[in-house]
Amino acid sequence: MAATFTRARGGRVKVRLGDEDRSVVAGLLEAVSEMLEPEEPAAAQGEGDLFARLEAELAAPRPADPAVARLLPDASHDDPEIAEGFRRLTQDDLRERKRSALAVAAAALRRPAPVVLSDGEAQALLKGLTDVRLVLAERLGLRSDEDAEFLHAAVAAGADEGDNPWAQTAGLYDVVTFLQEDLVHAIAS
Amino acid sequence: MSVAPVEVERPDVEEVVLPQVPWVTIVWNDPVNLMSYVTYVFQTYFGYSKEKATQLMLDVHRKGRAVVSNGTREEMERDTAAMHEYGLWATFQKDE
Repeated sequence: MAATFTRARGGRVKVRLGDEDRSVVAGLLEAVSEMLEPEEPAAAQGEGDLFARLEAELAAPRPADPAVARLLPDASHDDPEIAEGFRRLTQDDLRERKRSALAVAAAALRRPAPVVLSDGEAQALLKGLTDVRLVLAERLGLRSDEDAEFLHAAVAAGADEGDNPWAQTAGLYDVVTFLQEDLVHAIAS
Repeated sequence: MSVAPVEVERPDVEEVVLPQVPWVTIVWNDPVNLMSYVTYVFQTYFGYSKEKATQLMLDVHRKGRAVVSNGTREEMERDTAAMHEYGLWATFQKDE
């Protein structure tokens, strides 16, 4: 199969992907960006005392959606204080950096063909495809390397052709995985 | 991977000096990130050679985790945040 991404001069990357496929990938990138929008502070609007409000503003709770929690993971497995402190320090910034990369990548793919990515856009797409795959994997319940192998084998055997939603998402995951592998090779070549 | 044990002269306890950089960043295995991508991230972010980056990637894949950098707590927080930005699953802790 011909490569979807090929290296061009000056770190640029040519995209050989039809309008419809580019639009699907851009839509996935935009959907993940939306998931990363800051959550509304839950408590202490207006009335509460100053300290309660300040505390609510400074708190950086673990995201409730497990897919978002995977994008913004705990920085410690066994020390909740470190994990919490790290979230307070970095979570907003990480959300913004991820959303910015996702937006840059999606906008580039929405340009009319032929699409040639700048080096920065290619890097943004590489990270963005990772975030898309992390979210899809969470929805698919991928927990181990064996799960991932099973999924790939199921898709290769044509499981995604029916109308089973899991299998369709699995098919999408497999396609995005293929695209990312191809993009890594184009960038690293 | 393993290496032959080396005979070392044990220093007197009094002479042991605490290392200046007792924190580490650890990257954990996950079923999503591609081996090629993880190697690329280690090369790009840390500036490691292809050989070193590949070895670290294989450690993550086979052993479930690898120490990818060490330094001050602030430096490890920065490295951990960078790994998260790349979608890798990283934590930081005091070196054991």
